[in-house]
Amino acid sequence: MNRKAAWHGLWPWLCAASVALSLLLLGLLLTLLLTRGLGHFWPAPLEAVTLTSGETFAGEVIREAELPDRSGQERLYFIGNRDNSAQDSHGTRFRWVSLDTILKREAPAQLVRLSRSPWGDFIGQLEAFEHSGQRLEDNAAWQALSQALAQPKNARPNARLTLRPLNGEAFIQPLAEVYRASRPNAMSWLSKVRYWADGVGRFLSQGPRAANTGGGVWPAIFGTVVMVIVMSVIVMPFGVLAAIYLNEIAQQHRFTRLVRIGVRNLAGVPSIVYGVFGLGAFVYGIGATVDEWFFSASLPSPTFGTGGLLWASLTLSLLTLPVVIVATEEGLARIPDAQREGAVALGATRLETLTRVVLPMAAPAMLTALILAVARAAGEVAPLMLVGVAKLAPQVPVDATFPYLHLERKFMHLGYHLFDTAFHGDSVQAAIPLVYATALLLVLIVLVLNLTAIFLRHYLRRKRATT
Amino acid sequence: MISPSRLRTAQPRRQFQDRLATAIIVVGAVAVLAAILAIGIFLLWHSLPVLAMPLPSITQKLTVLAWGTLKAALFTLLFAIPVALCAAVYTALYLPPRMRHRIKPALEMMEAVPGVVVGFIAGVILAPWVEQHLASALALLVWPPASALLAGLVWQALAPRRLPFNQAWLWLIPWLLAMGWLALWAAPLFEHYLLGVDLRYVLETRLGVDYATRNAMIVGIAMGFAVVPGIYALADDALSDVPASLMEGAQALGADRWQTLWRVALPAAGPGIFSAVLIGAGRAVGETMIVLMASSNAALISASPFEGMRTIAAAVAIELPEAAPMSTTYHLLIFAALVLFLFTFLVNTLAEVVRLRLRSRLLRLGGGV
Repeated sequence: MNRKAAWHGLWPWLCAASVALSLLLLGLLLTLLLTRGLGHFWPAPLEAVTLTSGETFAGEVIREAELPDRSGQERLYFIGNRDNSAQDSHGTRFRWVSLDTILKREAPAQLVRLSRSPWGDFIGQLEAFEHSGQRLEDNAAWQALSQALAQPKNARPNARLTLRPLNGEAFIQPLAEVYRASRPNAMSWLSKVRYWADGVGRFLSQGPRAANTGGGVWPAIFGTVVMVIVMSVIVMPFGVLAAIYLNEIAQQHRFTRLVRIGVRNLAGVPSIVYGVFGLGAFVYGIGATVDEWFFSASLPSPTFGTGGLLWASLTLSLLTLPVVIVATEEGLARIPDAQREGAVALGATRLETLTRVVLPMAAPAMLTALILAVARAAGEVAPLMLVGVAKLAPQVPVDATFPYLHLERKFMHLGYHLFDTAFHGDSVQAAIPLVYATALLLVLIVLVLNLTAIFLRHYLRRKRATT
Repeated sequence: MISPSRLRTAQPRRQFQDRLATAIIVVGAVAVLAAILAIGIFLLWHSLPVLAMPLPSITQKLTVLAWGTLKAALFTLLFAIPVALCAAVYTALYLPPRMRHRIKPALEMMEAVPGVVVGFIAGVILAPWVEQHLASALALLVWPPASALLAGLVWQALAPRRLPFNQAWLWLIPWLLAMGWLALWAAPLFEHYLLGVDLRYVLETRLGVDYATRNAMIVGIAMGFAVVPGIYALADDALSDVPASLMEGAQALGADRWQTLWRVALPAAGPGIFSAVLIGAGRAVGETMIVLMASSNAALISASPFEGMRTIAAAVAIELPEAAPMSTTYHLLIFAALVLFLFTFLVNTLAEVVRLRLRSRLLRLGGGV
C-alpha cells in the first residue's frame, strides 16, 4: 500500500470523529446542566474553617482554583451572612481562601443553614429559640425551629431566634423572615433526598426572591405557558387553513410553488426580524391606535401601546406560522389521492371530503405541527425582548378579576428570565446555580417536545407504510 | 373536483356549506399571505426615512455592524462547516441506513437546544474558563481531532474485528474524552516549559494582542454548535441522494472509497452541499441570543479572533427597545433589520432553488430514496 492510499484510509477517521464530537458536545452540555441544575438543591455539607490567623468561619465549598501566580491552590467558600458586620468583606456572600492559610477543617453537626428573606442565607450556629417568654437552647431550639417551619406560613409562632456566626457577634433574627432551615451535616441520606425534592418543588412553585438569587421560577413558567397557549390558539387555525389551501384547493402551478418556497424560507428568517415587526407594527402601530380609540382615559400611560402578552403571542405566531404550514402540508401530501377520490366518488362535497376523510387522517400531522411550533416558541427569546417580556412582572396575566385573561399585561418568560439573571443580576455568582436549574428546565421542556414530535412522525411513517 | 349538477340542484344547503368552507379556507390563506407580505412592506416603509439621512452617518454605523455580523458568521462557519460536512460524509456514505436513521435525529437534537441556553454556557461558563486557560483551550481545539487520525493508525495496525469502522462514531467518544483529558493535563506543562508564563500574558504583553473575555472564538464555537445540525442534515440528505450506481461504477473502475467520495459523490452532491452551507450562513447571520451573550457587543472593526464584535441582530435587540418610535435610530435599526431580512430571504431562496434542482437531477440519474 503506497503512502497516498494510507492517507485515504485515515481521512474517514476525521469524519467519524466529527460525529463523535458532535454527540459528545451535546452529551457534555446535557450532563453539565443536569448535574449543576439538580445538584444545586442537594444539601451541601457545611465546613467550619479555622485559618492560621486564628479566625474561624463557616461556609460551603464551591470550587477550587489555582492562584493567579501559580504558587498554590485557593478555595471558594459560600459564606452567606450578608448582615454580619464583623466580616471584613461586608456584603459579599463568597470568600476565596488560599489553601496554605487553612489550619483546620471540621464539619460540626450543629451548623445550621437558614434561608431568609432580606439578607439571604445564614450559616452558623443556632443559639436559642425564644417564644412567648420561653427560651429554648441548642438541640431543643433546633427542634422547635423545625416544628415551627413545618407549619404553614401564617400559622407560625411569632418567635425570635438568636443566631451566632462563627466569626461574629450573636444577633436576634425574627422567625417571620426565615422560611427554610437545615443542618446538612447532621442529615441522614433519606432526609437529604427529601430536602432535595422539597427544594426542587419550591423552585418550580415559588416566585424569584433576593434579586433572582433565591426562590423559584413559577411566574416565568406560568407566563411562558400562557403565552404559548394564546399563540397556539392564533397560529393553528391560520396555519392549517393555509396548508389546506396550498395542498387541497390551489392549482399546482408556478405561483403556488413560489408561495410554498416563500413560506419555507420564512422559517429561516431570523427571529429578531419578527420582533422588529411586532414592535413596529403591533405595539407602535396597532397598539397606539387602540389606545387612542378605547383607552384614551389612561393616556399618556399606554395600555396596549406597550409590549404585552397579546403582541408577544401574535409575534410568535407569525414566527411559528411556517413551521405549522410546512408540517401540516407534509401530512396532507402523504394522504393517498385514492382516499379523496373515493370520497368524491361517493358523492361527498369538498367540505365533506375534508372533514370526514382528509383531516382525520392528517390529525397526527397537525398535532406534530402544534408540538413543533410550541417547542420553537418556548425556546425563543430575542423577539420577546422587543414585544413584552418583563424582568419581574408584578401581576400574572391570568387572575380572578374580569376579564380573567389580561392580554395587555407584561409577563415573565423562562428564557428571558435566564438571560436576565445570568447577565443583569447584581450578584451573578450567587445566581448561577439557579440559572443552571432554569436552563435545565427550559432544555428539558424543549427537548421533550421535540422528541415527542420525532416519535410521532416516525410512528406515523411506519403506520402509513404498513397500510 | 366538480360536483355533479344533480347535487347542486337537489341539496342547496350542502352546496352552500361547501362554498362557505372554501371561502373560509381561501380567506385564511390570503390572510396568511398578507401577513407575510406585511412584514416585508412594513420593514421597507419604516426604513424609507433612512434615504433622507446624511450618507456618512448611516455608513459609519452600518459598516461596523455589517463587519461584526460577517465576522461572527465567518468564525461560526469556520467551526461548523468542517464538523457538519465530515459528519454528513460519515453518516451518508459509511453507515448502514438503519444506524443512520438513529444518529440523525440525535444530531438534530443539537438544534433544539435554545439559543439562550447555549449563550449562557458560552458567555458565563466557557468564556471565563478559556480566558484563564487559553493554552488548554487551544490544545482542546487542536489535539482531539488530530488524535482521531492517531486512532485510525492504531486501528489499521491492530485491525480489530470487534470494532468495525461503522461503529467508530460510538467508541471514538471515549477516545475523544480521554484525549481531551490528556490535552487538559499536558497543555499547562507545555505552556510552562516553553513560555514559562501564561499564554494570554504573552499574547497581551509581548505581542500586543487585546484579549476580550467574550470574543469571536467563543462566539464561533457556541454558534457553531447551533448551526452544525442544520448544515449536517441538508448535506447528509444531498449525499445520500447520490445514486449508488454512480459510486459502484467508480469502485468497479478501481477507485477506493475515499477517491469515490472525493471524485464522484462530492461533485454530484456539490450543489446540495453548497445550499446546506448557505442555510447555515443564513442562520449564523441572524442568530441573536448567542451573539448577545457570548460576544462583547463592542462596536469595533477588528479581525482578531480574541476580540468581540457587535452584530446587526444584537444591535437591534439591544438598541431598539430604547429607541424612541419614529426617531432616527429607530429608522436606522429598522433598516438594519430589513437588510437582515432581505439577506436571509435571498440566501434561503437561492439554497432552496439549488436544492430542488439538484434533487430532480439526481432523481433522473436513478437515485433517490
